[in-house]
Amino acid sequence: MEFLLADAATRFNVNTVSWWTDRHVFLLAVIVYGFSAAYSLFLWRKGFRKDDFINYGMLLVGLILQTKAMFMRGLSLKECPVHNLYEAMTFVDWTIVAAYAVIGLWPKVRYLGAFAAPVIFAIGVFALMPGLDAAHKTLSPIETNALVSLHAALTLLSYGAFGLSSVAAVMYLSQEHDLKFHKLRAVFAVMPPIDRLEIITSRLLWSGFLLLTAGLALIPFLFKDRSEFHVASDPKVIWSALVWCLYLVLLVLHGRFSQSGRKFAWGAVASFAFVVLTFWGVNLLSPTHRF
Amino acid sequence: MPLVVIGLSHHSAPVPVRERFAFAQAALPDALQQLRETGLAREAVILSTCNRVEIYAASDFPEAQAVLRLRQFLLDYHKCTEPMDTEIYARGGRLGLEHLFKVACGLDSMVLGETEILGQLKKAYDTALRHQHTGGVLNKAFQRAFNVAKKIRTETNIQRGSVSVGSVAVELAEKLFSSLSEHPVMVIGAGDTSEKTARALLSRGARSILVSNRSHARAVELAQELGGRAVSFDDWATEFPHIDILISSTAAPHCILDRAKLEPVMKLRKNRPILLIDIAVPRDIDPSVELLENVYLYNIDDLQAIAGDYLRQRQEEIARCEAIIAEKAQAIMTASFLARGCEPAPVSSLGKAGA
Repeated sequence: MEFLLADAATRFNVNTVSWWTDRHVFLLAVIVYGFSAAYSLFLWRKGFRKDDFINYGMLLVGLILQTKAMFMRGLSLKECPVHNLYEAMTFVDWTIVAAYAVIGLWPKVRYLGAFAAPVIFAIGVFALMPGLDAAHKTLSPIETNALVSLHAALTLLSYGAFGLSSVAAVMYLSQEHDLKFHKLRAVFAVMPPIDRLEIITSRLLWSGFLLLTAGLALIPFLFKDRSEFHVASDPKVIWSALVWCLYLVLLVLHGRFSQSGRKFAWGAVASFAFVVLTFWGVNLLSPTHRF
Repeated sequence: MPLVVIGLSHHSAPVPVRERFAFAQAALPDALQQLRETGLAREAVILSTCNRVEIYAASDFPEAQAVLRLRQFLLDYHKCTEPMDTEIYARGGRLGLEHLFKVACGLDSMVLGETEILGQLKKAYDTALRHQHTGGVLNKAFQRAFNVAKKIRTETNIQRGSVSVGSVAVELAEKLFSSLSEHPVMVIGAGDTSEKTARALLSRGARSILVSNRSHARAVELAQELGGRAVSFDDWATEFPHIDILISSTAAPHCILDRAKLEPVMKLRKNRPILLIDIAVPRDIDPSVELLENVYLYNIDDLQAIAGDYLRQRQEEIARCEAIIAEKAQAIMTASFLARGCEPAPVSSLGKAGA
């Protein structure tokens, strides 16, 4: 009898573990992000008039759940979970929420969460689309080394920083528009001044640019022992170089040629839109990044 | 011993009457002393500001008699022979307490929700306290009034936002620039409103202020008052590329700044944003400058619309504030009745004297 009970308990335990995967935890996080996005709409309708902890709290809960999901995935793979499109998207999503969790500690920037929540939710929903979480192919030792993980982590972190900078840029554009057209919301909203938003956007872009530079600098080392691949012929590498140039031009125009805050903000939004809209397609074209 | 309030305010009396009944700060201890010595009041506080003159007293006389005697004191002290029936009001008991709380919260002020009155009330109480003219009744009432004011400030929006043109201009500047100390201000036309706006900017950290006026002597005078620098009216345009906030209120019959003048300046400014506050009528700044990027132009109507909206928000909060005040006043009345071992009187019967 005791043997039977122990057996049932073991089987029940095994079933529970196999049913409750990291994807379920991530799904919970995305649901929380969804509530946050819906609540953001309410805050927008109300004109962002009062400091609001609820949205920050919801995104924080989502971040905890997502961190748990990524830990579960990382522990099961015994490496940084950045090897398929689902993992890449969740990593970018996590970077945006984590960066916001730090920046949102400053009350005047807390409403950044209201602008970030729809983006975070959209990326989360996209990541959960069927087919993106493909089984990991058997990789050669060179593909599984720490350098690959570091390269992937750095570039994905940079996309996260670009994502949050575009969110700050949207916040800038919204506030700038309200001020320009004398909307009462510009004065009543608990928002930072637009020069502060420009600084936040710029610093996030610089962080993303430096991370991307570091990530791309590792490419020659990754291709060192793989003579069958030519770096210059890989569409993903060309695309990454293009993205790098795009952000470099944006930062130089802003820093050296006093580009106006509005154009800079539009540049940040458009650049991230380009990254998001082409990321999947270019991965499909790349022989080294096909997930 | 009930609390009695008697006095006049901007609600009941025009400025000439308020001036006549005002107590000089130096004369307050003497007036309080007279109130005590004549036996009219066992405890007394006199509040005298530009908008109100009020005596808060705790008297041994029954409430109706105390009101009559205090009223006569007020008239005699200021050598007024007219009855002032419509100007002087009185509140007693619970209504008196509620009136004190409303005054402390700025609910009875000319500018709804303003905070200056709380400081003036604290000063009046402090004067009476230092000269030992307060006791159990007034100490408790005033301390509670300060607590209620704090509660209302934190729990309602009665003091939120700017309701004057100057403070709205400051608020707009703070939506553009994170620190006003790094952004030079220019005042063109040394009128009253532009001076107030400049002072409001100074109070929020602005440091560098340039003043330009047709009468250079007036510009120099105002610049000295504001700790800034006077600029000849013919030269204000040369200083323009360096400033970030412009307050214009000249009496010029035409625009002094238009798009043709501003466009080259914006290039020199390397796209730094500029806030233009045009409080002149007729306007000093051509509205077409607004089409330029990084130019934020607000005229007097825009500023008044914002101030008006803030005021509407404050008015919407009045009911919440009054509910808090009624609750606190009822609590203090109940506690004082219980302390005397009596049953609390019903609300309807309290504080009927006055008005």
